[in-house]
Amino acid sequence: MKYIEYVNQLIGEKTAITERLVLFGENIAAGSHISGLTKQLRVGKGGLVINTPNTENTHAGAGLGMMLGGVSSILFMKQQDFLLLGIDQLANTYNFIRRKKPAASFTIVFVIVDSGYQGLQSSINNFGDLCSIARIPGFTITNKRDAEEIINTHLVSPGFRIIGVSQRLFGKELSEIETVSVNAEKTLFHYKKGNGATIACFNLSFPYGLTLHEKLKEKGIDASLFSVNSVTPIDWKDIIEDVKKTKNLVVIDDSKSENLSCDNLLVAAYENCKMDHAIAVKRDIKGNDWLWPNLDELRIDYEEIAKKLLG
Amino acid sequence: MEHKQNIAIAKEILRLRLSQMLINEKYKAGLFKIPLHIAMGHEAIAVAVDAAMEENDLLVCSHRNMHYNLARTKALKPILDEYFLKKEGLAGAELGSMNLANEKKNIVYTSSILGNNLPVATGLALGHKVKGVNGLVIVQTGDGAMEEGAFYESLLFMKSNSLAALIIVENNEWSMHTRIHERRSPIDLSKFSESLGAKYEKLYENDPYKYTERIKEIREYALKNKTPVVAEVDLDTLGGWYVDVPGSTEKRFIHPHSGPLPKTELAEWPELEHSANDPVFVLHTYFSSDELKAMAQEILKNIKKEIGEV
Repeated sequence: MKYIEYVNQLIGEKTAITERLVLFGENIAAGSHISGLTKQLRVGKGGLVINTPNTENTHAGAGLGMMLGGVSSILFMKQQDFLLLGIDQLANTYNFIRRKKPAASFTIVFVIVDSGYQGLQSSINNFGDLCSIARIPGFTITNKRDAEEIINTHLVSPGFRIIGVSQRLFGKELSEIETVSVNAEKTLFHYKKGNGATIACFNLSFPYGLTLHEKLKEKGIDASLFSVNSVTPIDWKDIIEDVKKTKNLVVIDDSKSENLSCDNLLVAAYENCKMDHAIAVKRDIKGNDWLWPNLDELRIDYEEIAKKLLG
Repeated sequence: MEHKQNIAIAKEILRLRLSQMLINEKYKAGLFKIPLHIAMGHEAIAVAVDAAMEENDLLVCSHRNMHYNLARTKALKPILDEYFLKKEGLAGAELGSMNLANEKKNIVYTSSILGNNLPVATGLALGHKVKGVNGLVIVQTGDGAMEEGAFYESLLFMKSNSLAALIIVENNEWSMHTRIHERRSPIDLSKFSESLGAKYEKLYENDPYKYTERIKEIREYALKNKTPVVAEVDLDTLGGWYVDVPGSTEKRFIHPHSGPLPKTELAEWPELEHSANDPVFVLHTYFSSDELKAMAQEILKNIKKEIGEV
C-alpha cells in the first residue's frame, strides 16, 4: 500500500468511530480529496464533514473555538503554507486555551510540500518552524509504523497538535518495519539496535536513515536507528545512552529551517558523550539560495559516511 | 417594562461608570503595570447584552472589554485584583486586562489581537450547532477590527454554515489615535453584511432600555433563522482631552485608547457629557436627577465598601 493510502485509511478508521467530530477544510470532500488524504472520510454519530470557503485564518480559529466549546475537530489543509494565514490563532488563541486542559481535540493535518520546487512558497514548508512559533506539539509521518502510532494516539485525543504528511512520500510503497521502542508521547521512535554507530533522523528524513542503516550494514557497521518525529522538547536520554555506546553519531535533517532540531541533539551529544565521529547531514543553503529552486530530496553520499566511520 | 427592571438597568449603567472611574483614579496614580482600555461611554451596550444573555449564550470580547467584564461579573474587586496581577484576581493573574475572560459568567474568550476573536466565535457557534445547543454566540468587535480580513472570513463562514451569532461592532470612529476618515474609505456595513446574507442592525443614542429590548429581539431572530446578525453600535469612548500644540493656538484632541484619562475625575454624579453620547445622561429619560443621584451615591458607597476603601 502506498503512503498516502495508508495514512488515509488510518485517519478514516479513526474518524468513522468518533462521535460528534467535525472534519473541515477546503475541498476535503471534493475533487482529488487533497490528493487522497481525505478520500471517503466519514464521521461517527453527530459529526459533520464541511467543505469550507477559503478562509484559513478562520479555520484555525474555528478549530480552537470548537475545542473551547468542547467539540473535537480535524482541519485538513492542502499545503502547510496555507496555515501561515492562521498564525495569529496558532499562537495567541492557543496560548489562551492551553492554560487549562481542554477536554476536546483539535488536530490540523496538512501536506508538507517537499516534492520539488513549486514556487516561492516552497521555501516556507518547514514543519519545525511552524510548530516552534508557539511550541505546538507537532508530528511528522514518515513510515507505516509511526503513522499507526501517531494517528491512533493523537488524532482525536484532547488537546491541540499538528500532523504533517510528506508530499514526496505520497506515492511510495510502504514496507513493514518494527520498532525497538517508542516513547509515550510518540515523538521518538527507536527502530534498530547496533554497536557501530547511532543514526538519528529528523523531520521527514527517516527513509534516508533507513537507507544509510542498510548501506552501513553492507560495510560491516551495525548501526542503531532513531527517528525524531517532533520538534517540541524531547528527552534525548535514549539516544545519548546509545551514542555513549557506539561513540559515533550521524544526524540527518531534511528541514529547510535555520533552526534545526538536530543541532539540539548534537549539542547534547557533545556535552555528554566522548565521540569518535559526529556527522551532520543537512542542507547547506547559503544566503538567498534558499529562495531559488532547490531539490527537496537530500543528496547523501552514503559511501563517504561509511568511509568516515570506518576511518 | 417593569419599574423594578428599569431601576436595575439604570443601576448597572451607574455601577459600570463609577467602577471605571475608580479604576481610572488608580490608573492615574500609576498603580497598574499593565495597559488598560477604559470604556466609559460603552456602558449601554454592555448592560443590554448582559441583560439579554441566556444560560447557553456565550460572549467573546476584544481588548477593550472592561464594560462587559464588569457587567457580567457584577463586581469590581476580582477585576481590580486581576489588573493588579494578584493571584486572587478574576483569572489568577494569568490574563491581565486585554485577554480578560470569565468562563463562569459565559465570557469564554477574549483576545487582545484585532479581529482574532471572530474566528474563535465562529468555532464556538459551530460547536453549538454540532451539540444542538440553543444558544447564541455574541462577539464584540469594533470599527478598527472590522477592517481585518478575519471579519469578512468569519461572517462568510458563519453564513455559509448557518451559524447563529451576533457580531457587535462598537463603532467609536477611532482606531487608536486615528479616526475613520483619516485611515480608510468609508464602509457601508449595512450593504456589506447584507451582501453576505447577514442581517444588519444599527443601535445609537445609548438608551440601555431600548438596546436591551433590541438585543433580545435580535437574539431570537438569529437563533430562529440560524444566521449571523451584525449590530453596529454608534458610541463615543468618553474621557478624551485636549493638549496644547507647540507654536499654535489650536489644541489637539487626544482620544482615549489605553492609558489613564487625566482630565476625568471620580464624582458622585458620574455624567461626563450632557448629551446622548453619555449613557449616564440618557438615564434622565426614565428617572429624575434626584433619583439618579441618590442611586449613584449608594452605588459608589457599595463599590468602595467592596474594594475596602470605606
